Amino acid sequence: MNEAILYPVNDFGPLMKGLSIGGLGIFHVFTAHFAIGGGLLLTYFQWLAMTGRCPPARRFMEGYFRTLVLISFVTGALTGVGMWFTSIQVSPVTIGQMIDEFHWLWAVEWTFFCLEVVAGYCAYRYGSRLTDQAKLTLLALYSFAAWMSLFWINGILSFQLTPGVWLETRSIWHGFFNPTFFPSLIYRTIAALVVGTLVAMVAINMASGFTREERAELIYRAALLMTPMALMPLLGLWFVGAMPPESQGWIMGGSMAMTMLLTISVAASSIVGGYAIIGLVRRRLYINGATATVLCVLAFAATAGGEFVREGVRKPFTLRDVLYSNSVRPEEVAKLRVKGLTSVDPYPLRNEKDLPVLDGAPHPRLKTGALVFRQQCSVCHTLAGVNALPHLTTGWDADMKRQNFAKLQKLKAFMPPFAGTPEELEGLVQYIEWIQNGRPQDWPDSLGEAGRSKLILDRIHTWLNEAGTEPNLVRPRHLKQGEGK
Amino acid sequence: METVFPFGLPFATGFYLFFYVLTLVIHVAFMNYVLAGCGWIAIVRPRAGNDTRSESTRILKDWLPLMLSGAITAGIAPLLFVQILYKREYYTANLLLFNRWMAILPILIVGFYSLYLLKSYWLKSRANWIIAVISSVPFVCVAFTGYSWTENHLLSVRDTNYWSEFYATRSQVYSESQLIPRLLVWAFGSIPTMCLILAWQHWYRGNGRPALLAKVALVGLLLVSGAAIGYHEVTSDTVNAAFVSTLAIPYFVIAILGLVLQVAGWVWLLRQKQFSFTGLVVTSVGLAFTLVGMTVCREAVRIHTLGKERFESLYPVHEEAFGRGGFLVFLAFFVINAGLIGLCFWLVRTKTLPVADAQHGASIKSL
Repeated sequence: MNEAILYPVNDFGPLMKGLSIGGLGIFHVFTAHFAIGGGLLLTYFQWLAMTGRCPPARRFMEGYFRTLVLISFVTGALTGVGMWFTSIQVSPVTIGQMIDEFHWLWAVEWTFFCLEVVAGYCAYRYGSRLTDQAKLTLLALYSFAAWMSLFWINGILSFQLTPGVWLETRSIWHGFFNPTFFPSLIYRTIAALVVGTLVAMVAINMASGFTREERAELIYRAALLMTPMALMPLLGLWFVGAMPPESQGWIMGGSMAMTMLLTISVAASSIVGGYAIIGLVRRRLYINGATATVLCVLAFAATAGGEFVREGVRKPFTLRDVLYSNSVRPEEVAKLRVKGLTSVDPYPLRNEKDLPVLDGAPHPRLKTGALVFRQQCSVCHTLAGVNALPHLTTGWDADMKRQNFAKLQKLKAFMPPFAGTPEELEGLVQYIEWIQNGRPQDWPDSLGEAGRSKLILDRIHTWLNEAGTEPNLVRPRHLKQGEGK
Repeated sequence: METVFPFGLPFATGFYLFFYVLTLVIHVAFMNYVLAGCGWIAIVRPRAGNDTRSESTRILKDWLPLMLSGAITAGIAPLLFVQILYKREYYTANLLLFNRWMAILPILIVGFYSLYLLKSYWLKSRANWIIAVISSVPFVCVAFTGYSWTENHLLSVRDTNYWSEFYATRSQVYSESQLIPRLLVWAFGSIPTMCLILAWQHWYRGNGRPALLAKVALVGLLLVSGAAIGYHEVTSDTVNAAFVSTLAIPYFVIAILGLVLQVAGWVWLLRQKQFSFTGLVVTSVGLAFTLVGMTVCREAVRIHTLGKERFESLYPVHEEAFGRGGFLVFLAFFVINAGLIGLCFWLVRTKTLPVADAQHGASIKSL
C-alpha cells in the first residue's frame, strides 16, 4: 500500500499541523537549550566557587539548580517524548523513515540522556554533601551528556534539510555529518549558553540574601558565557550557505512568512547579543529582573523564529529529495498521475454525509476532492483556518484552479507536484469551489457530460504534462529522476 | 513462531524483539514502582516536609519524582524499538486515538509536578482535603497513562478493516472486553514490584518493618492472580493459546515459578523482624522471573493476535532497518555511558560525608 494512504489522517480543525509541531518544538527546544546551557553555567559557577574566584556563586547554585530540575527534567523530558508523538500525528511516514534510518543513533542519544538524568540528579540531590571536586565532576558529566544529546539529535534534524551525499551513498554517517551539521551544532550550543545565562540572570535577581555587589558579580560572571554570541552572524551565514539554493531564496524574500520569521529571529538575537556583549561584559552594567525577563522573552522569540524557519525551509520536502511534505515520494509521482490514490484509500471520508447526493450516492467529484485534500493538502493547509486552501484560492475561477493545481510546483516552488490523476485534480477543484460557494446541497457534476468531461480532463492532462513530475528546484544533475537516483 | 522466543525468528526480528523485551522489563520495573507508589501515597495522604506517618511513605514521597523520571527515561528505549518492530500498527493506534492519546503528555506533566508539590513545605499547612486531593493527583495521572497505553496497544493489533470502521466513528476511546482485566493484571502486578524495591531501600538503611510490606505484597500477588484468572476468562482463544504456544510456554512457566518464589520470599519475610538480604534476593529472583516471563508472554500474545501472515510480512522491514548501521557505535557508547553512570554512583557513595543512619554500606541519607 502506498505510504501516502497508509495511515489515517486527523483533522486539526483551523490549526495548521505544522503549527502544532512547531509550537511544541519551540517550547521543547527552549527547555532543552536551558538544560544544556544551565548545566554549563552550573559547572562554571562550581569552578568559580571552589577556586575562590566568586564566593557568592556557591549560594546561588542551589536555587538555580532547583529551577533547572523542575523545568528541564520534567517539562523538557516530557515535551521531548511529546515531539515524537506529535511527529507521528503530523507525518508518520517521515518519522518512520527517520527511525528506520537513525534508530541506533537515537539509541546512542538515549544512553547520553540516561547519563544526563543520573548525573544531574546525583549532583542536585547530594550536591550539598559532596566534595567540591566530586560535585564539579558530576556537573561536568551532566553538561557533557546534555550537550552530547544535542550533538546526536542535531545530526538527525539537520539531515532532514541537507542529506548531502547520503542521497548517493545511503551511508548513515554521510547523512549524520551533513552540510548543516556543524554550523547548526555550534549555533545551538551558543544559543543554549544564552538561554542558560538569561534564566540565571532572572534567578539572580529573584534570589534572596545577596547584596547588590554580589548580584553584580554573579551577573558579570554569567554574562561572560554569552560572549560567543559574537560568532552567531558568521555561523548564521555558514548555515545559510550550506542550505539548498531554494531554501536560501525563501528566507531572502521568496516566502514572506519565512523572511519575516527570520527577521524576528535575527533582530531578537541581535538585541540580546548586543546588550550582553556591549552592556554586560564590556561596560559591566547591572541588569535587573525585569530587563533580564525581557531578554529571556526575546531569546524565546529568536528560538521561535529560528525553529519555524528551520521547519519551513525544507519545503516542499520533509526529507529533502526523499519525501514530500504530503508523504509522497518523488519517484512515485509519475505513477500516481496514472493510477491515483483515492480509489484505494482504506480510510473512509468522515464528512461524507455532509456532501451533496448525486444519483443516490455522495457526490463522486466532491468525495474524490475531499480525499485528495486529505491525502495531499491537509498536512499544510486547512479548509477554514490557518493557510486555508479556499481562502488562498479566492478569486480563482475553476480553470485557474485546474491550471494552478496541475502546475503546482511551477506556481510556488515550495509546493510539491500534484500526485494524482486528472480526475482527482478535477475533484479537488470542485471540492474547493463547493466550499467557496457555501457548501450548497445541490452541486453539478463537472464531468457529467461526456464531451465537456473530455475537454476538461484533456486540458488538465496537458497542464500536468507541461509541469512534469519533478519539483521545481535547482537540483544537481544526478538527482534528476531517471538519472541515477 | 514455532520455536521458543526469540529463537526461530529471522535474526533481525529476533534481535529487535530481544532488545524490546529487555528494555521494556526495565521500564516496567520503574513504572510499577511509580504506579503502586502513587497508589500508596493516595491512600496514606502524607503531609509535606518530614511530617509523614511511616518511613515507607517518607521514602516513597522522596523517591517518586526520581523514579518517574527513571520510568520516562527507561521508556524511551522500548518506544524506539516498538516503532521499528510494529511501526504501522503503533502509529495507526496513535493516530486513531489522536487527542485522547496525546493527553497523556500534559497529564504526566501535571502528575510529575504534583509529586514535587507533595514534597513542598507549602502543602504542610494546607487543609486536609487539599492534601487528599493533591495526594491523589499523581496516582490518577499515572493510572490514566497506563490505561491509555493498554488501550493503544489493544487497538494497534486490530486489522485494517477495524481501524477503518473505528476511524469513521470519530471515536477517540477504544474498548474491548479484555481491556480492564489486562490493565488490572499490570496494575496489581505493580504492587509486589513496588514493595520489593521499597524493601531494598529499607534494607539499605537498616530500618522498616517487613511485616507491613510483606502483607501488602502478598495482597498484590493475590489480586494479580485473580485479575489473571479474569483476563483468562474474558480473552479470546487466540490470546489464551499464545501463553501455551511453543513461543511462550517456557516463559509462562518461568513467570508462574517467579510468582511462587515471590510468595515464598514474602511469607518468609513476613515472619522476620528485619529485612534480610537472602529473603530479598530470593524474592527479587522471583520478581525478575515474573517480569521477564510476563513481558515475553505479552509479546507472544501480540504476535498471535497479529497472526502468522501479518507478523511475517514485517520481517523484511526489520531486515531493512537492521541493515542501516550504527549498532556498534551504540554498543560502544552504551558501555562508556554505563561506566560513567557507575562513576556517578561511585562519587556519591565515596565522596560524601558519612551519615550515621546508613547501615549497609552507604553514606547516603534519605535515599
